[in-house]
Amino acid sequence: MNASLKLLLVLLISLEVSFTQSLSANLILITGSLFYLMIHKTSFRSLLLLGVVPFLPALGLFVTIYYFSPDHDLHFAWVLFTRMYVYVTAGASFTLTSTPLDLALSLEQNWHLPSKFAYGTLAAFNMLPKIKSAIVTIRTAGLMRGIVLSWWSPQLYFKAILVALNWSENLAQAMISHGFVEDQPRTFYRQIKITIIDYSMLIVIILAIQLPIWLLP
Amino acid sequence: MHSLTVNNLTFKYQPDAPIFENVNIALPLNQFNVLVGPSGSGKSTLLKIIAGLYPQFGGNLISGNITIDGINLSTNQHQIAMLFQNPNQQFTMDTPRNELIFVLENLQVKPSEMNARITESLNFVDCTELADQNFNTLSGGEKQKVALAVIVAMDSSVILLDEPFASIDPGARNHLLAKLTELRDKHHKTIILAEHDLHGYQEIADQVFQINPGDSNIVALTQDAKKKLFSQFKPITMTTRIKLPSEYDQPVITLDHFHLTQQNKTLLEQSKFTFFKNKITLITGENGIGKSTLFNAIIKLTPYQGKILVSGHDVKSMKQKKLTRQVGLVFQEAENQFMAITVAEEIELSKKHRLTTYFTDQLIKDSLSRLNLSDRLDQVVYSLSEGQKKKLQILLMLISGQQILLLDEPLRGLDIDSLAAVLVLIKKASLAQQQTVIMISHQLTDLAKWIDYHVLFAQQQLSYQEVL
Repeated sequence: MNASLKLLLVLLISLEVSFTQSLSANLILITGSLFYLMIHKTSFRSLLLLGVVPFLPALGLFVTIYYFSPDHDLHFAWVLFTRMYVYVTAGASFTLTSTPLDLALSLEQNWHLPSKFAYGTLAAFNMLPKIKSAIVTIRTAGLMRGIVLSWWSPQLYFKAILVALNWSENLAQAMISHGFVEDQPRTFYRQIKITIIDYSMLIVIILAIQLPIWLLP
Repeated sequence: MHSLTVNNLTFKYQPDAPIFENVNIALPLNQFNVLVGPSGSGKSTLLKIIAGLYPQFGGNLISGNITIDGINLSTNQHQIAMLFQNPNQQFTMDTPRNELIFVLENLQVKPSEMNARITESLNFVDCTELADQNFNTLSGGEKQKVALAVIVAMDSSVILLDEPFASIDPGARNHLLAKLTELRDKHHKTIILAEHDLHGYQEIADQVFQINPGDSNIVALTQDAKKKLFSQFKPITMTTRIKLPSEYDQPVITLDHFHLTQQNKTLLEQSKFTFFKNKITLITGENGIGKSTLFNAIIKLTPYQGKILVSGHDVKSMKQKKLTRQVGLVFQEAENQFMAITVAEEIELSKKHRLTTYFTDQLIKDSLSRLNLSDRLDQVVYSLSEGQKKKLQILLMLISGQQILLLDEPLRGLDIDSLAAVLVLIKKASLAQQQTVIMISHQLTDLAKWIDYHVLFAQQQLSYQEVL
């Protein structure tokens, strides 16, 4: 499915379950998302993480509602518990099956997001691993000069921001020297189209989920 | 003659100190133009002005413009391509193939023609096998190859290169120089290249332009002046004999059943190797062979298998804090070393926690003046030129005074005078502070007399060599 439509679908679903209280709809959404992840060959480890990571906050919500709210509402406690999992699994259905490049290309070509924004964000994203290693490097550089920078040290982040500012300027120069001109038309190697099937899937899924959300408890 | 002309150029970073004043030069088209001048004289600045990046990204253009055959440049986009000094920040995308696609899209090339152009340009610089690797896994030299492939794909008529070979081994350098010559001869490109190390240019360079920082001017060298300049860089045909370690040498770093990998590729596999105490050891080897990664392993920035012993202690069981007080690393990228804002603050910081008292205030002052940094004390370190950053970085780490100092390309981007000054400084300080120095360098000019031992890194092995 087209990346930006998939993102839209995930956002719409998350928004709707935030304001409704159907346990069955939540369970259907979780099952659907897991199914979708499995047909995209998501590793067992990732699936396991999806189960473990939200468990504590979900449990927290459950306990708060069931034991400490005035009416000890078991149904509502389960709704909140599963809602947490809807957010995580639906979100993962997007993030684990689309790359940032897919999304950037779709936003640029289908929704006419300024290409400066699309590629700027993409370049920044490609730098994430470098930023992580930059922080380690800064700490080591500090240690070699006898300065201990803890993880909460402002000096560490001040230096990291300096590095990032410097990178962003170099990157902007590099983009320009590689022929990028703001607001100038570009050709597209990978044509990203939104097909009738993409739209139909979006509409059908949204409509289908209305039944359990409004009719089932 | 057709030319790229710089007309009446006056350019400043600071109001009272113009870097260029009324510069008028004509760089002939379809020729190989070399731009020389000391560190910080404005080579990068001139290239970035020609590329149209300055004054947009820095400095003030007081007057002047750039024309090609009389036509103003700003109206002709994509005529100029530039390869930067720093290989790390010149790509937007994650892999060479995606970067090439991005570039061709920018130039509005038809998608159906892209694959052919990508294959062709990667083939031209012989780096087809890098096409789908992530940039974060490529070495500096490999990135520069890809950067050249991008320029080939862009097919711009003018190619600017800012010290492109600073982090490249001699083999790759000769290969890329041959490619640039081919671009000039067969594809009629105009090449403008800024460089310190003029080895191998005598045959290739059509014109040499020299920046004179004294009078903020640029002059085209006459045949005689050119000859004189190149004679300083005679080809290294003679190899120098270097001693091998003797049985009296004390081990300082020992690799034991050592195995270093990156991206599932073995870089180094050696059952035993020793670096020796109070010696200056030079490590040479091709780009991407794993020299920097080895340094990173020694200071625990990269995982490895086996043991590294520093003065008999296993590095793995040492706290990073303790290790970094024994082993200092001069990073390949100078900016990584900086912790403060101005040059003076950096010096203060190094003095504060130094391990020896060798560097007295007077000696620091002398060293700064020998490195031509005396009048830069209040300058923000990030605004120094690459060569100045390098010199400052080395001084800072020498002041710190660790017993073992690892230097990753300490001579990169230095002009011939700075080179000598830096080597004298390293030699003197390491003798006085009883330091062990291990350095990686691709720049080998006159290096033989400064080093004790030479280690070659090749075929996943380190070995002491008798020649350099």
